[in-house]
Amino acid sequence: MAKRITVDPVTRIEGHLRIDVEVDGGRVRNSWSSGQMWRGIEVILQGKDPRDAWLFTQRICGVCTTVHAIASVRAVEHALRLEIPVNAQYIRNLILIAHSLHDHIVHFYHLSALDWVDITGALQADPKAAARLAETLSPWHRNSWQELQQVKQRLQGVVDSGQLGIFNNGYWGHPAMKLPPEVNLLAVSHYLQALEYQRKANMIVAMLGGKTPNIQNLAVGGVANAVNLDNQSALNMEKIFKINSLFREVEQFVNQVYLPDVIAIGALYPDWLGYGAGVTNYMAVPDLPLDAAATRFDLPGGTIMGGRLETQRSIEVWDDPYFRENVTESVAHAWYEGDWTRHPYEEETVPHYTDFQDRGKYTWIKAPRFDGKPMQVGPLAQVLVGYAQGHEPIRRWTDQSLATASSIAGTRVGLNHLHSTLGRHLARGIRAAVLAESANKHWQMLADNIGSGDFEVYNEPEFPRGEIRGYGVHEAPRGVLSHWAVIKNGKIDNYQCVVPSTWNAGPRDLQGQLGPYEASLVGNPVADAELPLEVLRTVHSFDPCIACAIHTQDVEGEEIATVRTLAAKNI
Amino acid sequence: MPDIAILGLGNVLIGDDAFGPHVVRRFDAEYEVDPQVEVLDFGTPGFDLAPFLMDAQRVIIVDTVKAEAAPGTICHYDKADILRRPLTRARVNPHDPGLKDTLLLLDLQGAAPAEVHFIGVVPASVKTGIAISDAVRAAVPGAIAAVVESLARMGHPPRRRAVPADPGLWWERTAVVSAEC
Repeated sequence: MAKRITVDPVTRIEGHLRIDVEVDGGRVRNSWSSGQMWRGIEVILQGKDPRDAWLFTQRICGVCTTVHAIASVRAVEHALRLEIPVNAQYIRNLILIAHSLHDHIVHFYHLSALDWVDITGALQADPKAAARLAETLSPWHRNSWQELQQVKQRLQGVVDSGQLGIFNNGYWGHPAMKLPPEVNLLAVSHYLQALEYQRKANMIVAMLGGKTPNIQNLAVGGVANAVNLDNQSALNMEKIFKINSLFREVEQFVNQVYLPDVIAIGALYPDWLGYGAGVTNYMAVPDLPLDAAATRFDLPGGTIMGGRLETQRSIEVWDDPYFRENVTESVAHAWYEGDWTRHPYEEETVPHYTDFQDRGKYTWIKAPRFDGKPMQVGPLAQVLVGYAQGHEPIRRWTDQSLATASSIAGTRVGLNHLHSTLGRHLARGIRAAVLAESANKHWQMLADNIGSGDFEVYNEPEFPRGEIRGYGVHEAPRGVLSHWAVIKNGKIDNYQCVVPSTWNAGPRDLQGQLGPYEASLVGNPVADAELPLEVLRTVHSFDPCIACAIHTQDVEGEEIATVRTLAAKNI
Repeated sequence: MPDIAILGLGNVLIGDDAFGPHVVRRFDAEYEVDPQVEVLDFGTPGFDLAPFLMDAQRVIIVDTVKAEAAPGTICHYDKADILRRPLTRARVNPHDPGLKDTLLLLDLQGAAPAEVHFIGVVPASVKTGIAISDAVRAAVPGAIAAVVESLARMGHPPRRRAVPADPGLWWERTAVVSAEC
């Protein structure tokens, strides 16, 4: 008999997400993704000074602060058709790269590794055998058997003390856990080391952004970093070189630990390179501009339809009409008045809560569509778009990663396997390697430009009377982010954030097309309805961060995951 | 590297959840601290607390807290309280993973702060919008005094500024419009 499983909330994510699935014959047959908090930023911003908007939007979510700040200043600059100095582009780019690296590392190790790594399994490992295995996977200098032995002892101590804490919600001993003990131990060791390297990435953001979270150095028109090579408190050569050395340390961790670990887990769970594809329309936007006017970019943008790379169509620049004219949002199944589908500039935000209705409204998240189609966004979209365009670093890192995965798995792992739950993780690792490499380039361009005597970082904005409109895009760690602003007489008249987790976690639209989370769950196996680890695997692979897709008003919200299993009524 | 970090947690866009940022900004505007002390309006960092907690030996956190008490009541917790309480009880942060998870992970790594002083206020309203309730606003001076006392106990008493600085509560200011209307 079909069973209904409700996971509410999904743990190890930001924000409050509820997932419902109907399981029959050990497979998911239907699913619903529901954001359980209302955002409301659009209402707060009405009437505010557009120069302040980024301060507000970076508080939408405590984790993705930087990305909302960037998208907001870009939106207002676009409305003003205001170019920013090239130094400001490079400084912003370095912040964005460091933020993304931090985010990808944290997501893999601290927010999703426990879906694949059995902590108790690590206690059965032989540290010497684990060190020998590690040698075959990576030249990383911190895989010695002594270090692994220490990790095992500390872990044993935690288990013995009964303070399982951070690992409490892991599904220990679940039949879907398949890694050998030695791989589990290596993964736990890297889980702990990852703390140090995400901190180094974070330090870069803090050095350039003034602090983090909630960077302080942005301004509509550029950045507020004082550049003065001889001044201790300004951005000087000492800091510029320190930033470079931090990037190099993070790059080494990405190339020698993070990416090899994702490849190994992909190869050791080959089934999961087959589940979880869902929506195979993909979209990415260009980012990391190389010039002041943002006409050329390091990261590629475009769309792919139906998983076919030959359908790739480029989004060349932020102002590309192909992007601008094709984005809409539907509230047919979301808790807002009406059932309209509108362009972001034309939207309104009037909440209308109805309780959870399978066939009606069931979420605070709207359903964004591109040319009427649901789109999957995130690192996988960017990697596939880049691959289709022949983007050299993306091709090189992808080909290399797939070849390594194939040799570990003993069977061919190809591009087609990327349309999957573990494909999303692998693409995130590939993107991290591409980003770490590009940090070198953007750092060099900044150092050269400052070295040549150009210290300009800011062009002052002037607001005209009457109405202007603009949008800012950013390829954030979770994918395409866009902020859409209507400014009237220098005040914000309408503001809409169409965020990556809205694209991915959104509900059905008026035509009944499922959103990417929903579609990706259909067909997933579920071995034990009481312990739906497989559902978490697929949802976590998107790197859900729901705090901005919707926002918390639920301080009293439960913090322990509950899984409710019911015999489904309406099947 | 700071020895003591004072972190204001909470979301300034969600009513009384602005308490933590509000208190630490007001404190920072009214007091000078030793160079070993860092004061940060931190927002709602979830797991991103980790790098900051790794840096500091001792941490003072100001936030809202779910407790059986009247709105505006200030509750104090130490590290053992936070680690002991089941996750459903101490609402230390609306996000997941929160403070407790982060402390446990850092303990495993051997990098957790030795001492945590958590100063929590019971909120009256946590609906989306910029407005601190009267009950919670009235608790601000008491929370600032608690931070001062805590720092003194840790051997780094702050000094009151002769002229208070601007606390920079930007979220409470109304639009200053540059264009003519």
